[in-house]
Amino acid sequence: MAGVEVVSEQGFRTDGRKPNELRRIRCKQGVFSHADGSAYIEQGNTKVLATVYGPHEIRGSRSKALHDRAYVNCQFSMATFSTGERKQRPRGDRKSTEMTMHMKQTFEATILTQLYPRSQIDIFVEVLQADGGNFAACVNAATLALIDAGIPLKDYVCACTVGFVDDVTIVDINHLEETNHIAEFTVAMLPKSEQFVMLEMSSRLHLDHLSKVMDMATKACKDVHLVLDRAVRDHVSEVWQQLGNT
Amino acid sequence: MADVFKKVEPAEYYRRHLTHDARPDGRQLLAFRDVVVSVGTIGTADGSALVRLGGGGTTVVCGVKAELASPRPDTPARGYVVPNVELPALCAATLRPGPPTALAQTLSQAMADLIENSGCVDAGALCVSPGRLVWALHVDAVCLAHNGNLADACAAAVVAALRDTTLPAITIDDETGRVRVDSGRERAPVAASAFPVAASFAKFDNDILFADPTAEEEALATATVTVATLEDGSLCLLHKAGGSAMTEKELQQCVDRAQVRGAELRHLVNKVAASKEC
Repeated sequence: MAGVEVVSEQGFRTDGRKPNELRRIRCKQGVFSHADGSAYIEQGNTKVLATVYGPHEIRGSRSKALHDRAYVNCQFSMATFSTGERKQRPRGDRKSTEMTMHMKQTFEATILTQLYPRSQIDIFVEVLQADGGNFAACVNAATLALIDAGIPLKDYVCACTVGFVDDVTIVDINHLEETNHIAEFTVAMLPKSEQFVMLEMSSRLHLDHLSKVMDMATKACKDVHLVLDRAVRDHVSEVWQQLGNT
Repeated sequence: MADVFKKVEPAEYYRRHLTHDARPDGRQLLAFRDVVVSVGTIGTADGSALVRLGGGGTTVVCGVKAELASPRPDTPARGYVVPNVELPALCAATLRPGPPTALAQTLSQAMADLIENSGCVDAGALCVSPGRLVWALHVDAVCLAHNGNLADACAAAVVAALRDTTLPAITIDDETGRVRVDSGRERAPVAASAFPVAASFAKFDNDILFADPTAEEEALATATVTVATLEDGSLCLLHKAGGSAMTEKELQQCVDRAQVRGAELRHLVNKVAASKEC
C-alpha cells in the first residue's frame, strides 16, 4: 500500500469527495458536424471525445459483413499527451487493444444490430486527458454519440468504476486512487433494466463484499444515466428550437 | 435544388460561385475562416492548444510533452523537438483505421520544417547539461475534425502549444549525478520570440486563387500552396506540391495575404495567452 490514504478517517477521499460521490460530469452531444454522431464528455479531469459513423456499407474487407446483423467496429485511442508519462503509441498497444475489444463487446450487446444486416457501424473514441475511469468515460461518450447518430439502442449504456478499499466502497475512482492497488471494478450497465453488459475486475475481493459493491455500482450507473439523459434532452430541445419550433 | 446540383456537378457548382468572387459558404475568395484558439486545455501536457477553423469544421488539438533525453551526438548542447501529426479515423468519414496516411506524414514533416526554419523554439535553452542531458519536446497534434486546410490549423496549434509550454527547473547533483526536478523554482517557457503563421491557398481551374480551402474545395483544387511568415515579414516555409503552375504575381499575392493573416493570428494568440495569465 502506498503512503496515501484513499479514504481519510473523516470519510473523505483525496480529492475531497465522499465515497459514493461521482466526479462532475460535463457532456455535449453533436460537437462535430462531419460525423453522423459525436459527443464530448468530461468526468472530472478525464476528457473523452467519441464519434460514430454509420450504419454504412462495409468498408475494407467484405468478408466482415454479417448476413443477419451489423458489424460493430470500434477503436479506442489515447492521445500521447493524455497521461502523466508520455505514451509511446496512441493505439495498437495491448491495453488499447483490450479496451477496443471491450467496447466492441459492450456495444454489440446494446445496439439493435439485427436492424442493419450487412452494414457497419464505426465507433471511434479518443482520450484527450486521462485521470482514471477512462473506459467508463469512453462508454458514456460512445453512448451519447450513438444517440446523436440516431442508432437504435436497447437502452443507454452507462459505465462507472467502483473501488473497494479498507471495507469502504468508493465510486468513480480517479488516477491517484487507481494507483493504490485497490480492488477495481469497471461496470457498464443498462440502467432501466438493471442488466450488466460489461463487468471487469482487477485485484482481489472477498465474496462477502460483492453484493455491496454491485449495489454501489448500480446506484452509480443510475446516477450517470440521469446526467446523460438530461444532456440528451437538453440537446434535443436545443436542436428543436434551432429548427424554428417553440 | 442547389444541393442536387452540387452533388451532380460539384466542379461546375464551385465554378459558378468562384467566378463571381464568392464561395458557397459566403466567404470572399481571399477570406479565411474564423479561428478559435484556446491554450492550456490539456492538464496532463506541459503545454497545449486547441484550434478550430470555421466553427469546428477543422479542429486540431496539440499537446507538448517534455522528456529528458541524451542529446544527439552532432548537437551536444541543443535539445530537440519531435513534431508528429496524427489523423485518426475519427476525424473524417473517408479515413480508415491504420498506419499514418501520406497526408499525416507530410504534415509532420512540414511542422518539423516550420519549427526548425522559424526558430520558434530556442534549442539551446532546452539543454540541461551539455553532452549529457537535454529536453526532448514531443509535439503531438491530433486532428479531431478534418474539413480542409489542416496545414494552417496544425501550424497554429503547434505554435500556440509551444508558446504555452513551460519546463520545470532541473538540478543535477555533481557528486552522485542524480537528476532531480526542482518543483520549488518557477517553470521556464521554451518558446523564442519568433512566431510563424501558416496560410494556405488553392487554385481552381488553373486560374482562380482562393484562401483557406475546405475539404470539398481541396478535393476540386488543381493546386495548393502553403506560405508561413514571421512577424518581420520573412518567409519560413513555402510549400507547393505540384499541381497547376503559378505565376510570380500570384505567388506574391499569396505572400502578401499571408502577411496580413499572420498579423491577425499573432494578435489573437497573444490575446488568448494574455487572458490565460490574468
